[in-house]
Amino acid sequence: MANPLKLYLTCVRNTLEAAMCLQNFPCQEVERHNKPEVELKTSPELLLNPVLICRNEAEKCLIETSINSLRISLKVKQADELENILAKKFLRFLSMRAEAFQVLRRKPVQGYDISFLITNYHCEEMQKQKLIDFIVQFMEDIDKEISELKMSVSTRGRLVATEFLKQFL
Amino acid sequence: MMAGAEKFVEADNAEAIITRIEHKSRKIESLLKQNKPVEALKTALEGSPPMTRDERCKSANWIAVHRALMAIKDVEGMFSSLDPEYYDILMKYLYRGLSTGDRPTCDQCLRIHEKLTERAGLGCILRSLADTVNTV
Repeated sequence: MANPLKLYLTCVRNTLEAAMCLQNFPCQEVERHNKPEVELKTSPELLLNPVLICRNEAEKCLIETSINSLRISLKVKQADELENILAKKFLRFLSMRAEAFQVLRRKPVQGYDISFLITNYHCEEMQKQKLIDFIVQFMEDIDKEISELKMSVSTRGRLVATEFLKQFL
Repeated sequence: MMAGAEKFVEADNAEAIITRIEHKSRKIESLLKQNKPVEALKTALEGSPPMTRDERCKSANWIAVHRALMAIKDVEGMFSSLDPEYYDILMKYLYRGLSTGDRPTCDQCLRIHEKLTERAGLGCILRSLADTVNTV
């Protein structure tokens, strides 16, 4: 079970290493503006082919690159209704604090659970390898986090129910 | 230049390409029956990408390559007999396979992707990302 995960993460890591070739590029349309081209998509010559890496039907990762920015959108595994709610709440919690993460996007791209936007400025301030390690580590840990949350919800539910029903014994 | 070369491929040329791809599929089937998956993959990758924007040709070609890819069991052995000139086009097809989301396809593509990156390096990945003209 861990092996397909490892292959998936290796594939994402290799693709990110190749795709994270960002340089500063001032906006072509408006003077003195500098915008992440992957968000605007106004000039096709500045964009590379977007790449979709699916692990299975539920989990996938979309990597879109342009000359000065890179957008990574993730869809995490959600096996049942409870995991669905937990994932949504947890990732919304993270996205609302996107300022602290710097590379996180406030709203995920349509159809995905969470998105990262990495610009050339991030690559200048931070090391490329560390950025990639962060993203891959995030992908690895998100599954564990959600399973932990699910387990704590079930445990708490069980405790509460036991305590409540004791009065009827 | 490159854009001009695409223009002359009109509807009737697309038919010719599809016939060529069907011919290729039959050859691939016979090679697979003879238990030669690497030869089948080489045949599938030859003449790719089809020099056309027609989606049907690309889909037909993808189906042929997919058939050959799924038949491969020994990934290391495959790379020892596959010429480096096929690496770039194989990488493009791997990404197409990964975008399908179908579990067995994705498993196989992920396995091959790892080995191909080890062999061909990151340049191969970047060429498949940067080539917006010859997509598969």
